[in-house]
Amino acid sequence: MKKKYLPYFLVSPYLIHFAIFVAFPVGFSIYLTFNNWNIIAPMEFVGLANYKRLFSDATFWKSLLNTVIFLVIHIPLQIVIALFLAELLNQKIKFRGFFRAAFFLPVIVSGVVVTILWQQLYGFDTGLFNRLLVKVGLGKIGWLTDPNIAMPAIAVMATWKNVGLYVILFLVGLQTVPPQYYEAADLEGATHFQKFFKITLPVINPTIFMVVVLSTIGGFSLFIEPYVMTGGGPLNSTISAVLYIYKQGFFYYHMGYAATLGFFFAMIILAVVVIQKRLVEKDR
Amino acid sequence: MKRIFYYIFLFVGAITFLYPFIWMISASIAPENEIGNLILFPSHLNFNSYKLMFEKIPIARAFLNSMIVSSSITIGVLVFGSMVGYALSRLEFWGRDAIFYLIIFTMTLPFQITLIPQYILIVKFGWVDSYFGLIVPYLMNALSIIMFRQYFKSIPQDLIDAARIDGCGEMRIIFRILWPNSIPAIITVGILTFMASWNEVLWALIVIRDESMMTMPQLVTLFAVGGRAESQLGVKLAAATILALPIIIAYLFFQKYFIQSMASTGLKE
Amino acid sequence: MKMKLLIPIILLFIVSCDSEKSSRKVDMIYWSANNTQEMEFAAKIVKDWNDKYPDNKVLFQPVPEGQSSEEVILAAVVGETTPDIYSNMWEGDVEAYAQAGVLIPLDTLNGFMDFLNERCDSATIKEVTSLDGHIYQIPWKINPIIQLYNKKMFEEVGFDKAPRTYSEFLEAGKKIQKDSDGDGYVDRWIGYAEVTVTWWQRFFDFYPLYLAASGGAPLVEKNKAVFNNDAALKVFTFLREVYKQKYFPKERISARQDAFLSGAIASRFTGPWEIAHAEKFKPKGFEYDFYPMPVPDDFDEPSYTYGDPKNIVIFNTCSNPSLAFKFIKYALSEQSDLKFLEITGQLPRRKDIDINKKYESYFEKNPKMKTFAAQAKYVRGTDQSPVLKEVFDLISQEYEACVIYGVKTPKQALDDAEKAVNLLFIK
Repeated sequence: MKKKYLPYFLVSPYLIHFAIFVAFPVGFSIYLTFNNWNIIAPMEFVGLANYKRLFSDATFWKSLLNTVIFLVIHIPLQIVIALFLAELLNQKIKFRGFFRAAFFLPVIVSGVVVTILWQQLYGFDTGLFNRLLVKVGLGKIGWLTDPNIAMPAIAVMATWKNVGLYVILFLVGLQTVPPQYYEAADLEGATHFQKFFKITLPVINPTIFMVVVLSTIGGFSLFIEPYVMTGGGPLNSTISAVLYIYKQGFFYYHMGYAATLGFFFAMIILAVVVIQKRLVEKDR
Repeated sequence: MKRIFYYIFLFVGAITFLYPFIWMISASIAPENEIGNLILFPSHLNFNSYKLMFEKIPIARAFLNSMIVSSSITIGVLVFGSMVGYALSRLEFWGRDAIFYLIIFTMTLPFQITLIPQYILIVKFGWVDSYFGLIVPYLMNALSIIMFRQYFKSIPQDLIDAARIDGCGEMRIIFRILWPNSIPAIITVGILTFMASWNEVLWALIVIRDESMMTMPQLVTLFAVGGRAESQLGVKLAAATILALPIIIAYLFFQKYFIQSMASTGLKE
Repeated sequence: MKMKLLIPIILLFIVSCDSEKSSRKVDMIYWSANNTQEMEFAAKIVKDWNDKYPDNKVLFQPVPEGQSSEEVILAAVVGETTPDIYSNMWEGDVEAYAQAGVLIPLDTLNGFMDFLNERCDSATIKEVTSLDGHIYQIPWKINPIIQLYNKKMFEEVGFDKAPRTYSEFLEAGKKIQKDSDGDGYVDRWIGYAEVTVTWWQRFFDFYPLYLAASGGAPLVEKNKAVFNNDAALKVFTFLREVYKQKYFPKERISARQDAFLSGAIASRFTGPWEIAHAEKFKPKGFEYDFYPMPVPDDFDEPSYTYGDPKNIVIFNTCSNPSLAFKFIKYALSEQSDLKFLEITGQLPRRKDIDINKKYESYFEKNPKMKTFAAQAKYVRGTDQSPVLKEVFDLISQEYEACVIYGVKTPKQALDDAEKAVNLLFIK
């Protein structure tokens, strides 16, 4: 008797947690999308009005576009730099542990700290980058104040923060390449680049896809960086979807509309991730 | 010859990743007129920025809050994660696979969908401005369950059978037999959970309004964004340093484990 | 058997009720703002009251420190932990709370209208009257936003005070603008306003200028945008020119030392709180003063501005509203208002502030505050609308596009803002 119920007792914390903090919120979120609610006044049923508003809400679409811009810069940059550094670390070098630890440091530090630091680096008058630019005789750049540059600047910062993790992942991938392959290639007189494209790349292909999937999910949750650095400006060029949901929900207390944005956005994320996973599996 | 280029690139890379942190720390202890100089070594030490920070924000209280919250979450995740992981890996029962797939499914569910309703739940439970609001939603973590399940599978059945013969209950088996044999899994889950909750800021921004209940990253964020730093860079950097330091110190000691843990989340995907 | 059990339970119930009563030694809870000066004032007034009326004790607490006092109040409303009286309510928030039914309509209290008529002029009373015709707030204090300026910097370019008109402002802007270190970038400006779109930043640039140019006109009236007018157009055109000529920096300079006191900017649109700050941090020989907001060239009426009013409300969790009102009357008496002025350096919002003999000696001692007292007649708060934040946010978005980045003409920007605001009111 006791034995029979024991497994259920063991999994019950999960089931209770799932019911309260996952299943109910998902259901309630769908319900909320059909209502207007500012928390203090009673809920008001509005049918599909929130969805209608979403489709004509230029700021929301702008936030999606911003996310795409972010990903288009962030992902390739991340892969190239991470691969490059991983290749270097995979050579016979001294102090490998030190370099690896240094590259990894930003990964473990809070995004808040990173953002505060980069805000200073990107400063117009006193920032490091503009000082260097002026020193070599170039003009200052409005890193966070030029609408065309602010989002790429944030993407570069995010790359700096996360690339260490991907260096490690690539390093693990690189170490799975059987050394005989390289020896054979050396015998045939292959160049460094040939070896990289013909041997290394195919082996670490799965890692690359994984990096793409992880960075995509990361990019979709972009929040604290624009929240601290730009507040979503200039001209809404750095407003991310999560920041916009936060703004609608906790600035203006449009709970119904914020839930609609969250629900719709989550569907987009799911679709993108499913498509990416399909591609990965097909490739394998 | 080629070697030298390797080292040059690696060295430039290391500087790129380390410099901002070194600058942050040295600027936070530099005299005020040197803060903006991007120097690495202040002419003399000056802890004025820290003094001002302690006057302006209850950072010590926030540190305590963060400690309480992150430790509770970590303990909860370890205990509950290993309970569920054990049931899923070692016990036979109806619905086991269904629960396993449910867990896998929730891992793919974006948090953006539950953000608003979870906040409303916290409000209805009366948990706004309380530790409960910060801790309870995070006590369970799908990834940790999967990791424990995976790890427990690799432990020989003999060990468990022997314990059963000795009359051990299942809870004892988990915490007395499996735990001592699963140190790597515990370290990985522990580091990941502690780090994630220490650095979490969006949720705190949502459920905590009372300054005395704020976590460190939240307090520092609001301090940096809001006007209370009164445009004094040194104070801002002091706050950032205090926020970063505990994790950096832990990292200096357990560097290998940090890297392995983080890498394993990627590899499990 | 059952009866035997019931009796102790009932007894317990009575006892517990009783103990609850005795543990609640106060009749009312009053929340004030949480800055040092206002807390000092609130503590003093509550102590005086409790000495005078020991049977009606008031407990004073500063509003719990949080992300912003508005958010703390909202959390309290949601959690039904509101105080009886709250004295730091931003006027623009009142309508939303009133519509949610959590505030007491004060005009239903005995003697309220007499009290209000004695304290405020009709324009102010109109301003605080909600859309449903009731009044949910008592005007308490204001901090008018006007020009703070560096006397020496303006004297250097031939101005004996801050500019009165847009043309004068632009002229001074041109003369003050300077690249002192010769790196090809301007590093001295006539002024600075935050360039972020955060809605309340417009209290320090667009909104006071709009009130000045329009003689105190509303932005929205009866759920309709009414700001797309000549005054707004002039303000947008003026500020756009200011940024285009780089008289104001477009880059955030807030990340450095105080730009005004260090002489990087010559003026700023701000409130009386700057006096205490400047007195504490100003360099030797630094001279500053205040002057009303600039107005369009052909404008010769007094210049209105935003008063940043904070008002007092009674929440519906209050069990004895007339007692609460009695306390508020006490806290807002002539004598209390003088104390408030002396302790906090903020202006009580009463119509006789600049002529009442009682306050004369304070202004003699604090001559810089005189400008604010004279301005007090010409201040506006905010319009009554439950979506006021969104209105400011939408205007702010267009303000950014037009004034700061110059990608829209003032006409386009105002048309778009009007359209977007009116969309808010469609049901």
